[in-house]
Amino acid sequence: MSRIGNAARNIGKLDELARRDTWLNRIHPLPKLLVTVLYLVLVVSFSPRQLTGVLGMAIYPFILFEFGDLSFTSALYRMRIILPVVCLVGVLNPIFDREPALTIFGVTVTGGVLTMLSLMVKGVLTVLATYLLIATTTVESVCGALRMLHIPGILVTEFLLICRYVSVLLSEADRMWQAYSMRAPGQRGVAAGAWGSMIGRLLLRSMDRAKALYQSMCLRGFRENSTLLPVKGLESKDLFYFASFTTTLILLRIFPVLELIGRLFV
Amino acid sequence: MSHIHIDISGLSFEYEKGHPVLDSISVSFHEHDSVGIIGANAAGKSTFLKLLVGLEMPPQGSIRIEEIPVEKNTLSKIREKIGYVFQDSDTQLFMTTVQDDVAFAPRNYGLPEDEVARRVARALDLVHIPHLAGKPIYKLSGGEKKLASIATILSMTPDIILMDEPSAALDPKNRRSLIHVLNEFDHLRIITSHDLDFIWDTCSRVVLIDAGRIIADGIPDVILRDETLLTAHGLELPLSLSER
Repeated sequence: MSRIGNAARNIGKLDELARRDTWLNRIHPLPKLLVTVLYLVLVVSFSPRQLTGVLGMAIYPFILFEFGDLSFTSALYRMRIILPVVCLVGVLNPIFDREPALTIFGVTVTGGVLTMLSLMVKGVLTVLATYLLIATTTVESVCGALRMLHIPGILVTEFLLICRYVSVLLSEADRMWQAYSMRAPGQRGVAAGAWGSMIGRLLLRSMDRAKALYQSMCLRGFRENSTLLPVKGLESKDLFYFASFTTTLILLRIFPVLELIGRLFV
Repeated sequence: MSHIHIDISGLSFEYEKGHPVLDSISVSFHEHDSVGIIGANAAGKSTFLKLLVGLEMPPQGSIRIEEIPVEKNTLSKIREKIGYVFQDSDTQLFMTTVQDDVAFAPRNYGLPEDEVARRVARALDLVHIPHLAGKPIYKLSGGEKKLASIATILSMTPDIILMDEPSAALDPKNRRSLIHVLNEFDHLRIITSHDLDFIWDTCSRVVLIDAGRIIADGIPDVILRDETLLTAHGLELPLSLSER
């Protein structure tokens, strides 16, 4: 199978993960969405030099991976392309900021290294938190939660359709790549001269298929305000999930746990 | 005489000015009819079906579905009565599992969850695939996808079923099982195809279209046996009727 085909299959597998029947999957999508958004905001809100504070926020994904029946190694494998890119952010900081920031066991750490590590950890944690949301909540449920938050129907529809069309685009690209490779044996990648026409054709074919897919949805009663999935009412377990994680995350933001633990030993 | 479900009068349509795809078509379809629309490639068969559900607009002439004219403001009402099965099942199926896809329409129509579940179970039973309910769409075979596509519209409990080239890309076994499923239906069915053996096996009435006009309309036993007529309009006798 080609890499594009693999990517399409991975999307299908993520959808399967989201449909499992685990306690985390059963939590209402609204608290999961709100906790994820809060987590992203809190992680990003740390100043570039608060590395210990950011590291403390790793508790949230750790708990969910540990108790949510999700494989951490599979998550890393699925994100093997995005994680290195995330880690590249701030990679030049050590060159521009050489001012000593702290000393650990006699080793001086510059401000640049500290901010680079902090940005890397922030990036990895935010990607992991987003993965945890989509691996435990279907796109339709997320859309339902967005509608509960009174996000305009047209925006939610756009979001849903983009999610649907990503797989359409990938499957079209895969078919074209297969057709191309069958007539270009032994060639690595697509020849420079063929890129323009291939991308043009891909765009046209994807638009045709996206149009047909949208028509198919409309013929089965789809409207921008459609109830995409029955979003049930909140239960006590959902409120407990929301309250406990919100409190924990806010406390982690206010009190740098790792720093406080470290001070106990100094 | 049975109740008229679809009444079409003077229907014309063109994608490009001066190149009509359909030209002054007038025809009626009745309750429980099983109609095969046949014709060579580019005869206008698919466009004809798309006009019935308002996927192509606006036509010249009139189309009335159970007395309701097909117009922009009546489309939602019309589409509740008609189930349309696309030629490409990948277009029809866009949810993750078969069950979710079959439940898509009833949920959109705001039915309570227990009714949605009842309709999903019934639709899957009708096409004999209850065992596929939880299967991811991307793991289905071509024949399973086709049956799942049909189930997605049966859950809407439509009065009319439209199918565009349903037998395309099916192997003999899946083709046979599709024929079996279709012959169990009591709905008004309109099937476009140039697979004349399939039409022979599933339809009680045949309409031959060529260059956007109705050339012949009658029972399969007459039209599908008329080699001269079929050959003149780019078709051939069904394999099951031709001498080998």
